[in-house]
Amino acid sequence: MKYAKTLIIGSVSALAVGATAHLQADDTLRIGVIGPTTGVFSFFGEQQRMGVELAMEELAERLDALNLEVEFYDSQGDAETTVDRLRAMESRDNVDLVVGPVLGGTGLAGLEWAKGSGMPTVISYSAPEDITMRDRAENVVRAGWTGAQPMFAFGEYVAEELGHQRIVMVGQDYSFPYNQLGGFLKGFCAAGGESVERIWHPTGTSDYSSILATLPDGDALLYNGAGSDGLAFFQQYHDFGIDARMPLLGGSNFFAVGDLPEMGEQAIGGLSALQYAEGLESDTFLAFRDAFWAMHGDEVMPLAPAEHGYVAFKMAVDAFESANGGDRDAVIAALRATEMPDAPRGPFHLDDYGNPVQNIYINEVQEVDGRLVNVPIKTYESVSQFGPFEAEAYLAGEPDSRDFPPGSCADPYYD
Amino acid sequence: MKREYLIILALLAVLVAWPLLMGNYAVSQANRAMIYALAALSFSLLAGRLGWFSLCQTTFAGISGYTVAILGVRFGLPFPLVVTLALLLTTLSAVIFGLLTVRSRKVGFLMLTLALGQMVWALSFQWVDVTGGYNGIAGVRMPVYGGIDFNATRVFYVLVTTVTVAIFLAVWRLYRSPFGLLLLGIQENEQRMRALGHPVALARFSAFVLAGAIAGVAGVFLVYDMGIMSPSPLGLGHAVWVLTAAVLGGYRSLLGPALGVAVLITLETLVAQYTDRHMMVIGLVLLLSILLMPRGLADVLEQRFKRKSKPQASATTTTQGEEP
Repeated sequence: MKYAKTLIIGSVSALAVGATAHLQADDTLRIGVIGPTTGVFSFFGEQQRMGVELAMEELAERLDALNLEVEFYDSQGDAETTVDRLRAMESRDNVDLVVGPVLGGTGLAGLEWAKGSGMPTVISYSAPEDITMRDRAENVVRAGWTGAQPMFAFGEYVAEELGHQRIVMVGQDYSFPYNQLGGFLKGFCAAGGESVERIWHPTGTSDYSSILATLPDGDALLYNGAGSDGLAFFQQYHDFGIDARMPLLGGSNFFAVGDLPEMGEQAIGGLSALQYAEGLESDTFLAFRDAFWAMHGDEVMPLAPAEHGYVAFKMAVDAFESANGGDRDAVIAALRATEMPDAPRGPFHLDDYGNPVQNIYINEVQEVDGRLVNVPIKTYESVSQFGPFEAEAYLAGEPDSRDFPPGSCADPYYD
Repeated sequence: MKREYLIILALLAVLVAWPLLMGNYAVSQANRAMIYALAALSFSLLAGRLGWFSLCQTTFAGISGYTVAILGVRFGLPFPLVVTLALLLTTLSAVIFGLLTVRSRKVGFLMLTLALGQMVWALSFQWVDVTGGYNGIAGVRMPVYGGIDFNATRVFYVLVTTVTVAIFLAVWRLYRSPFGLLLLGIQENEQRMRALGHPVALARFSAFVLAGAIAGVAGVFLVYDMGIMSPSPLGLGHAVWVLTAAVLGGYRSLLGPALGVAVLITLETLVAQYTDRHMMVIGLVLLLSILLMPRGLADVLEQRFKRKSKPQASATTTTQGEEP
């Protein structure tokens, strides 16, 4: 019988410990920040965390006045872990507002959870367009971007300013690049482009010789991907000497600052588009960058995930202030009315669907003070997630996929 | 005999008390724990009885989850039909995988299940039209019957607990049945079982399909728990996680896998609250526990209970007697 007693005592004490963990006094407001701070995508989560930490320091007095606490959670870049941490925020830690998630898949999982929970949520860097389009929820807004958003402008720029008619695209075979290409095509065809030929490869490809050896002809090549795949492609593209025949354009993350040292001088002149550029010269951006460097050291360049985390946190604090506390409906209404005239990336406001209407920069890789950085050479102002289209018309169309929209600009779809 | 019943009763008492005493988060954690306990049970059924270490049990859960998501969300079929079809399809894929793997042994089996699992994972990632690719399929919801919302954490808990307990009890009976003993016999000495006239290949195959079906049940719950089906649960990481939990808890015993899952989830939740280096802490704990308890937690506990409950027996046997 002894073991039965042990079992009962053991389980009762375990339950007691668990139950006490649940009791918390509640006159404080809490923001939960979630992102991948471990795992292969930890770079993005760390950037967000550093951005939020900077905002916390700058807003310290306002946080005190609001009696606001901040807690960081690790999503591990995994959808299931994300949902689990979000549940912990709501029912264990009494969080009043969520900042994050950062990655595409975790963002969609977070959205799905937020719909069930009603938690005010500011998605930061996560870019699937349906978060603020077809699957949008009243309580979820976004501080960042959609995959297509910067590419509308890039397509237009490539057709109008560079005069390229036929583009060959090589890209990673998953939804983010589909969305990037979708935006590119819609902008490109509207501005008089002719066609885009698609070549998809599985993520994690390191050898591109078979693709490069049979590359169709075009005016330029768009590499629609990033990370180690992008680096390998960049090297082999130059090894094959194709850069002499077709200039290389990049998807939004292709010429990421972390990869530029490895690409070396050959990257100089490389073009891509984003709602952010580390080579911005505006006062608000320089102040942000210098404060970031003062806090985290100047070997870390603040990139878009850091700025989006920083801005998302500010949006949250503003919303608590104008809602006079943590009342959900008031906070959500305040979030939806967000206007940020002085964000480091440039001014933006949210559209009716909760996504920023913001500047898109055409960025060129340049060497500045011995560093390779993306310097904006042209700005498209007030670009929404629908690009040049009406929201209703855009939403009535099919979502971007592996082979939609059509690759030929002569297709009736573009009429 | 009596001891086993007592443990079962105590466990049932905890399962009943849990939602009454604990907060929402702890209940949702328990839901996840039971879902993964089923997956780990599915793994252990093969590992513990047949010495077959499978890396595709989470794949079966994934197949079942995708079936639920596709039929439920895309086609809007009613809940009972969706679940039935999901389990049928999972069992069918277990039959196919079983035909391919039934002749293999140890490392061969491990590699085959790895290959099959990775193939399905790649398929889920790239067959975008059907699976939604990386983005997955969102909006998977339990139905509301007679005013009871099965999505509510505690209602879902009742459902998951009932099914999980039923499956564990069934497997408990199975382990003691002639079929369960035959499986053990095959692991011990396949030649002898064959010589005795037992249908060895058929027994292995049946066990594999059964394990697949159990994983399928886990998959149904998993997708309803998450609300979204994406390729991540099919990844190698999750397969290894289940293996780790089963080994930690002790895959040879019935409750070992469940124990391993409970310990691992608790560890992850507690440690992740305090440090970003939680993977290192958990790794260290795993390292130590596998060094110190190579047969798993359940085995250590069992030995302890045995010694306590039978002091006379151990005193009389010289081999066991460290203390009277």
